[in-house]
Amino acid sequence: MGSKSQDIVSRRQFLQSGAVAPLAAVLAVGMISIPFMRLAEAGGFMLRPPGALDEKRFLGACVKCGKCAQACPYKAIKMAGPSYGASLGTPYIIAREEPCQLCPELPCAKACPSGALDKGLDDIEKVRMGTAIIVDRENCLSIRGLRCEVCYRNCPLLDKAITIEARHNERTGSHTIMEPVVHRDKCVGCGICEKSCVREQAVIVVQKSPLLQKDSYEF
Amino acid sequence: MNLNRRDFLKASAAAAALAAATGSRFGIEAAEAAEGDIKWGKAPCRFCGTGCGVLVGVKDGRIVATKGDPQAPVNKGLNCIKGYFLSKVLNGKDRLTKPLIRKGDKMVEASWDEAMTLIAAKFKESIAKNGPDSVAIYGSGQWTVFEGYAASKLFKGGIGTNNIEPNARLCMASAVTGFMTTFASDEPMGCYDDLDLGDTYFLWGANMAECHPVLFSRLIDNRLKNPRVKIIDFGTRHTRTSQMADKYIKFHPQTDLALLNGIAHIIVRDKTYDENFIKKHAVFKKGKTSIGYGLEDKFKFADDPKPITFEEYKEFLKPYTPQYVSKLSGVPVATIEEVAKLYADKSRKVNSLWTMGFNQHVRGTWVNNLVYNVHLLTGKICKPGENPLSLTGQPSACGTAREVGTFTHRLPADMVVTNPEHRAKAAEIWGVDVKKIPEKPTYHATEMFRALDRGDIKVVWVQVTNPFQSLPHLNRYRKGARKGDGRFVIVSDIYPTRSTEVADVILPSASWVEKEGFFGNAERRGQQWFKMVEPPGEARNDLWQIIELAKRLGYGNLFPYKYVEKEIFEEYRKFTGGGKDLAPYEAYTKARGLRWPYVNGKETQWRYAEGYDPYVKAGEGVKFYKNKKDDGKAVIWARPYEPAAESPDKQYPFWLCTGRVLEHWHTGTMTGRVPELKRAYGAAVCELHPEDAKKMGIKQGGKVKLTSRRGSLVLTADLRGRGKAEKGNVFVAFFDENKLINELCIDAYCPISGEPDYKKCAVKVEKV
Repeated sequence: MGSKSQDIVSRRQFLQSGAVAPLAAVLAVGMISIPFMRLAEAGGFMLRPPGALDEKRFLGACVKCGKCAQACPYKAIKMAGPSYGASLGTPYIIAREEPCQLCPELPCAKACPSGALDKGLDDIEKVRMGTAIIVDRENCLSIRGLRCEVCYRNCPLLDKAITIEARHNERTGSHTIMEPVVHRDKCVGCGICEKSCVREQAVIVVQKSPLLQKDSYEF
Repeated sequence: MNLNRRDFLKASAAAAALAAATGSRFGIEAAEAAEGDIKWGKAPCRFCGTGCGVLVGVKDGRIVATKGDPQAPVNKGLNCIKGYFLSKVLNGKDRLTKPLIRKGDKMVEASWDEAMTLIAAKFKESIAKNGPDSVAIYGSGQWTVFEGYAASKLFKGGIGTNNIEPNARLCMASAVTGFMTTFASDEPMGCYDDLDLGDTYFLWGANMAECHPVLFSRLIDNRLKNPRVKIIDFGTRHTRTSQMADKYIKFHPQTDLALLNGIAHIIVRDKTYDENFIKKHAVFKKGKTSIGYGLEDKFKFADDPKPITFEEYKEFLKPYTPQYVSKLSGVPVATIEEVAKLYADKSRKVNSLWTMGFNQHVRGTWVNNLVYNVHLLTGKICKPGENPLSLTGQPSACGTAREVGTFTHRLPADMVVTNPEHRAKAAEIWGVDVKKIPEKPTYHATEMFRALDRGDIKVVWVQVTNPFQSLPHLNRYRKGARKGDGRFVIVSDIYPTRSTEVADVILPSASWVEKEGFFGNAERRGQQWFKMVEPPGEARNDLWQIIELAKRLGYGNLFPYKYVEKEIFEEYRKFTGGGKDLAPYEAYTKARGLRWPYVNGKETQWRYAEGYDPYVKAGEGVKFYKNKKDDGKAVIWARPYEPAAESPDKQYPFWLCTGRVLEHWHTGTMTGRVPELKRAYGAAVCELHPEDAKKMGIKQGGKVKLTSRRGSLVLTADLRGRGKAEKGNVFVAFFDENKLINELCIDAYCPISGEPDYKKCAVKVEKV
């Protein structure tokens, strides 16, 4: 399939967009257009390698050496191109193409010289790269009652990060809807589910982790 | 108006809901109206023995969509993802479209005339030189009923050889011999309604969650609606089925024999059997023991059944104490007691379900007998919601292979070549001299390919199956096919496979809705479909190929049909009266399948049961009327525990088990060409228990080498637990054409059924 995430503008698109002329002038003085600069911060989520600091600090710490990408045995880590603005040269993962396989030794984090990836991380299940979210329930075959649940079966934290919640299929009256449910506190955000999804566009995608909220308050 | 795919599917889901609610055809018409020029037709799914109904949408001569058929009672509009992608299955880029003839190392395109001339010449030559038993056809539980019938008629009634075998010998043969020795008739007494109506379900060595997905969905819904429902999973490996079951009971491979006898032992000990039922409906028998493993070529076995008394049967069960069985199987005594209690519980409607764990077993016939024993002892059989239900793997292993009888020893409708009356009936219906039909079976599947290896068979025609990926001890048979010296292998298929690569001639075939067809699923439901699209290029359907060979061999007179499919079906139907009655062909074209026996316009849900089976008279209650020899009673067999053919030892300390995953079907020739299914599950891996892995320093994703006495294979290790091998076991799926795990498997088989044991052999596991 080879589709890149929506917020990458291909080179051809960029050149054809007619924005070249004014932008060329801007670039010529070494400044980059405001919308691109804010790409990552504006919720254009980038899936960072395991052990990454929070995005703001990450961008400050990452020296764009590419050692993490070299260390990855699956070539899952890519280096961001110019369309990523301030993220240019930083490592990220396109889960739909090649997700993080959660190597127990975390070779990527171990290779990072600047601490942008936490070298001290020793338990791969403790990473929080993001959270998988079913973004299109109507196109999820499992939720429709078909037997899919590929994301669930492929999840490396089987029965922990994704579990199956079974409920009665009202339409047929005699079958079960086996809905994959992501557990935010266990999901590491590797993206294996996103890669596995059998729909043309993955209906389960890794996004920025929602805030972990408490049910008690400090007054 | 052009509806895009999303809108169409949304509309059809809503329409399907409406159809279900109103019970009318409105749903389908609404979709038709929405789509304008898409023409819809019904067909059973191309894949497993569940037999889900699908609707196939055709536009401009191409399949543009498939979806679950909301009106199909089996699945009510649902599919698994294999069925969901049916519209892609026939459209792989490398579809075979022209006949190919081997010339040296190359496969060269040829015309049909050239190919069929060559094939006919090879057949004639070999028959003249070596006799009719030097040629053979190896077909399939994916053959349509018409194809299987035509092949059987040509080979047995024309050429005059019993050298016809289906790949179903490798999956359901033990179920068949289990049925035949217990009930004198093949095929279950129950149906899928039992999944809705029972409250206790024992799954034996069957990963139903992945291998019968829609049936499992139905079973789980029963439990959602009725909290009383218990699902107990007996397995040698923890699966997604185990995860959803109420209880997972692990046992050492092969000890299912002991467990079932152990359960019977407790039922007898505690007198929880149904004395009245046993008196009226059962007899007791014993057979030979120490019956061997079929490892030697031309291994022969004939059982010697002897009647015994109930008392003698009780004596036979004495050694199978809970303590003995626990020691052998690893199942705790308390669990064995609990299971036996549940089986005998008079307030519970108990069902047993099984597939390959029981059938692909060197004592497969015995273990099928033993599970029936428990149901017969307790009288929990032939009642709605209470049956032993043998699940089938292929879409028409039942409908074609077993019912049409495309086996070396068989004729249609339970009949056998060894019986002169059966031969006479076949000769009459086929219009051939009865002397033509040979009375001696020749080779079952494994022996057939051994014969090819030895050169006793020279010409083999393989249709709709992939033996050179699926046979056990694969190396021997792959090499055997290419030994030359007059050997000639023809393979009819739709894609290049590990079998076409050893062929001398490859014939491009039509598949599924590219031809008119008929399949029979696991609940005796025959389902018909019409041809909806043309096959690609010069591909032709297997039925045409068989009849074409027949004509060129001088047996065209056996196939004087105009509307071939319908006339073949009506001819075949003549065999099926008296308990296997099929409906007229017309009826199947309209219905979403019909379950036989079909008598006086009514299908049968429960065989042998009064009020449901028209052959059971009023007042009889239950009658196993097909077993005339034992007065309409079923047989409770004294079958002992005997060890596997090859158990782990010092040199090869692990058990190797093989099987399937939900995403792929069989040897993956179809599902492997659907990009989405490959994306979901790409390559076969080796399941290993995490503790075993740790001991060997093997990590998730690391490489392991499996070696048996017959072959070795390097695989990626999977410790994530989707299927979790028990300690001392490994599991590998067989769908991957790049990972021929069957090279390691042992070609030991059940001496009664001939079915190989794909679940148990010994391997060593090494870190690479």
